[in-house]
Order: sequence, then C-alpha cells, then structure tokens
Amino acid sequence: MQARRFTTADLVRYALVVALLIFFLFPIFWMVATSFKPPNDILTRPVKWTFEPTLTNYIYAFDEANFGLFIKNTLTVSLISTVLVIVLACLAAYSFARYNTGAGHLMFFILTTRMMPGIAVIIPFFVIFKAIGETAIGQALWLGLDRPGALVVCYTVFNLPFAIWLMHSFFQDIPRELEDSARLDGYSRLQVLWRVVLPLAVPGIAVTAIFTLIFSWNEFLFAFLLTRDVARTITVGVAGFWTQRGIMWGPLSAAATVCVVPMLVFALILQRYIVRGLTFGAVRG
Amino acid sequence: MDTAIEKAPGVGKARKRAMSDTWYAVLLITPASIIIIFFALFPLLYAIMLSFRHVDLTSAVGIGPYVGLDNYRFALNDRIFWESTRRTLTFAVCAVSIEMVFGVAIAFLLNGLRWFKGIVRSLLILPIASAPAAVGLVWRYMYHPDFGVYNGILAALGLPEQNWLGDVRLAMPSVIIFDIWQWTPFVALIVLAGLQSLPREPFEAAELDGASTWRVLRRLTLPMLAPVLTLVFVLRTIDAIRLYDVILSLSHGGPGTATETLTYYLYRISLKYFRLDIGSAIALLFLYATVVFTAVALRSMMRVQAERARRA
Repeated sequence: MQARRFTTADLVRYALVVALLIFFLFPIFWMVATSFKPPNDILTRPVKWTFEPTLTNYIYAFDEANFGLFIKNTLTVSLISTVLVIVLACLAAYSFARYNTGAGHLMFFILTTRMMPGIAVIIPFFVIFKAIGETAIGQALWLGLDRPGALVVCYTVFNLPFAIWLMHSFFQDIPRELEDSARLDGYSRLQVLWRVVLPLAVPGIAVTAIFTLIFSWNEFLFAFLLTRDVARTITVGVAGFWTQRGIMWGPLSAAATVCVVPMLVFALILQRYIVRGLTFGAVRG
Repeated sequence: MDTAIEKAPGVGKARKRAMSDTWYAVLLITPASIIIIFFALFPLLYAIMLSFRHVDLTSAVGIGPYVGLDNYRFALNDRIFWESTRRTLTFAVCAVSIEMVFGVAIAFLLNGLRWFKGIVRSLLILPIASAPAAVGLVWRYMYHPDFGVYNGILAALGLPEQNWLGDVRLAMPSVIIFDIWQWTPFVALIVLAGLQSLPREPFEAAELDGASTWRVLRRLTLPMLAPVLTLVFVLRTIDAIRLYDVILSLSHGGPGTATETLTYYLYRISLKYFRLDIGSAIALLFLYATVVFTAVALRSMMRVQAERARRA
C-alpha cells in the first residue's frame, strides 16, 4: 500500500463518517447518560447536558421494580432455548448440508416459517399454553401462561429456522474429503459427526449461539403476551415503566441500558460474522 | 443415492450397516422438523378453526358456533382494516426505500475509507443489536415535545420545535426515522460485505479501458451487487411489514390511529377486545399475503446460496 497524503476528498469522507456516527450512536449515548441523571435533571427545559452522575435510577429499577428477577428470567429462558436450538439445528443443518435432504424444498419451507408474523399466530400459542398449563405435565414442565417454559418453547421454535440456515452455511465450508477419509479410517457416521465435523464447526456453533441468544434476549411480542409477573422478561420489564400514571424516564433508561448494553458487547464480539448471521448465512462478511 | 448401491451386491454387508445414508439423513432432521411442523401447522389449523366461528371471550359466548365466512366478510368490509393495511404499506415502502438508498451510499462511503474502516463498521452494528422495544421507549423520551433532546437541539439551533409523536402528520415520519436509525446500518453492512467480495479483475480491465466511474458503477458494480441488494431488500421488507415492538413502545398506534399498523390493529382487536374470531380472520389474511410475498421473494435468497455453492 502506498502512503498518500490526506486529501480534500478524504476530509469530506471523514466529515460524513463523523456525522453518521453521531446520528447512529447518539440515541445509545443519550440512553446511558439519562440513566445516570438525577431525577430532577431528567424533565428539564432546556435539556441539561451536564449533571452530577448518580445511581438512583438503577437502585429504583432493581429494588422497587424487581429488575433482578426479570434478568434472571430472561437469562434462563434465553440460555435453555439457545442450547436446544443449537442441538436441534446442528443435526438438521448437517443433514441438509451433507445429504441435501429434501433437495432444498424442506429448507425453503423451514425458512418461510421463520418469516411468519408472530402476531398472526400468537392467539393459538396463547390458547395452547393456557390449555397445557392447566394439565399436570404442563405444570411440571413450567409450560403454562406466565411460565418460563412457554417462552423457551416459543424462542426455540422461532430461532430454529434461522439457526438451521446459518449452521448449514458453516457446515458447507467444511471440506467433504475430511469426512470421507475419516470414514475410510473406520469411523462410523456418528463418530464422523461428533469427532470430525462438530469440532471444525465450533466457530459456527458459537456464532449461531450468540445470535440466538441476542434474538431471545431482545424478543418482546411473545414475552409481552405470554407472561405477566412470575416469568416477565427484561424487555417487558422496560416497557413496564410506562405506567397508568405516566412514564418513569429515569428508571426506564437505567433498565433499557441494562437490557441493551450486554447485547451490544455480544454484537461487537460477533462483528466478523455479523453480516453472515444477518443474512441467514447467505452473504459472507 | 447410496441406498441403491447398498441393496444390490452383498446383502450381508448391507445388514451390517445399521441403516442407509438416506435414513440416517432423515433421522437427523426429524427432531427439528417435528418441532417446526407442529408449531407451524397446529397454530395455523387452530387459527383457521377460530376464524370460522363466533368467538368473544369477553361475553358468555366464549368459543361459539360456526358462522361460515362472516368474520372474513367483516374484516374485508372493515374500514380500520384497510386503513391499517395502507399505513403498513406506506411505512414499509418509505422506510425500506430510504434505508436502501442511505445504506448503499454508506456502504460505498465506508468502502472508500483508508483509516478506521474496521472501527466504523463495528460501531454501526450497535443500533441493530439493541432491543427495539427498549430503545423505542428511549426514543419516545428523546421525541418528548417539552423535555426531549431532539427539540432541545432544534431550539438551540434556533429552529422551530416539533411535536414529533403527538402531531398526526408527523407521527408516522417519526416512526420511520426510528426505523431508519435502527436498520440503515443493516443495509450498509451487508452491501459493504457484498462490495468487498467483488472480484478484482473486471474492474482492473475497465480501468485499463478508461471507463468512467459512472459507467463502471452502472455496468459492473451494480449488476454484480444485484443478488445482495435483492436479498437485503427482501429481508428488510419482510421485517418492515411485521413491525410491532416499535409501534407499541413509541406510539401505541397513536395519536388517534395515525401510526396503527396492521400488526398493532391485530393486537388491539384480538388481545384488547378479545374478538379472537375476527382477529384470526385478519391474521390469516395477513399471513397469506406475507407468505405469498416471502415465497416469491425468498427465491432470491436461495439463488444467492446456490451461486455461492457453485463458486466454492
């Protein structure tokens, strides 16, 4: 690479880039800033840009609004469904990638289910979980309304198609010759999958898992309609600060920060694969 | 496939292998398929059943008798249904087209950067990864007519303040601005990846021929980017017509019904008024429209996949 001088064109480019970054990052900055504002500085006119940082809003969110429970619920639901999704998706995606099962039609059908608008099927889900929750098995498995099991099922079902497509693209990258030579060495098909393919697919599994985790963590519709108190998740908890008597902006910002920032960190870890994940594996980043 | 070979020559050998590759492959996809088919088909059948009955959970009727096509007739004659459909389409068309134009422009801008490309790229990921329901509420605060930061900035610049979400004419554009904020980076990052994976040779050849920048863009870059652009367009459109979280956190469909999209209307009719029958009928009409659109549009995705498989 030749080192050129900083030209006028570069100046224009970087000025544009700075403007873009301000537009795209400012709301996140404002959310974090508001979360540390003293309650008296939040509803002011003109807007206050400098203030004495305080943890009041966080203390309110955790002590009064029970935000710790929502985090625990969200983590439980997201982690369990992520594990389920990964196990099921690995088996299915491997079958699609290695044996071309269903000649593409089945994979296509699976993808269309992912595109189903959640709101269009929420009523049946509501009724199903209401019915299951009243049975003994449903109660044992925590499957009723306002139970974490119901959300685990929903998130598994809705993330599975995505995970299958993404894992499929990672399995396709693994050279078939490796598997063939392992077979010649006397490995059974299951051993090939377990000892040869899966170790090579670890980066793909990690990427798919983090994506699934982010989607489950950020999910709102199902959590909003299927939980009330006990199983309430973090996004619904944030919306809970919009009360009958008005919106509590301070605690809301604190809660939103707790909700959003961990996923931003995860997204930055993923950044090399973000394009691949967002396109269901179709475009390599 | 392998089945034929196994069955033909040594029967004893075939016995020793537990099952054919085909069965093995089918076995691997079975658990995932059962779950997907059950949770895709059962709710669908249930919704179809509800849509043909009279259901009103707020009265003693509960799940009542079959009423034929009444619910569909009601939905198709319902003014609010058509208005919310129109708003959904307006939202999708405006948001997606602006995001596509800005996103492509940003992708070209970033592709030409010599320093900090990686950092800028990673920072652009942040809006995409934030939970829409949570940042939507933060945006509601930022849009606040009296205490919001956007009006604060406008006032400091000496510009007239706006009643962002309170003004009937401005509410939908405000929602669209939010969507642009969250999803333009999505378009930009994917198109950037597409730009970076273009082969070098055709461009070098064009440079040798002395082709103008515009010509190269129109004859080479854009046609070669076409599959990626289609894919991004499809994914964005599907998400835009399903928009729900943001409406709930930004505007609750208001003021009046100015930002009530089809999904929000569905929510209101089925889970606030508990008219599951009409709700299901509308949901099925909506589902049918999206499935037809996606089935056609997603073929483009399959094409990108197939092309990659061929190149590999």
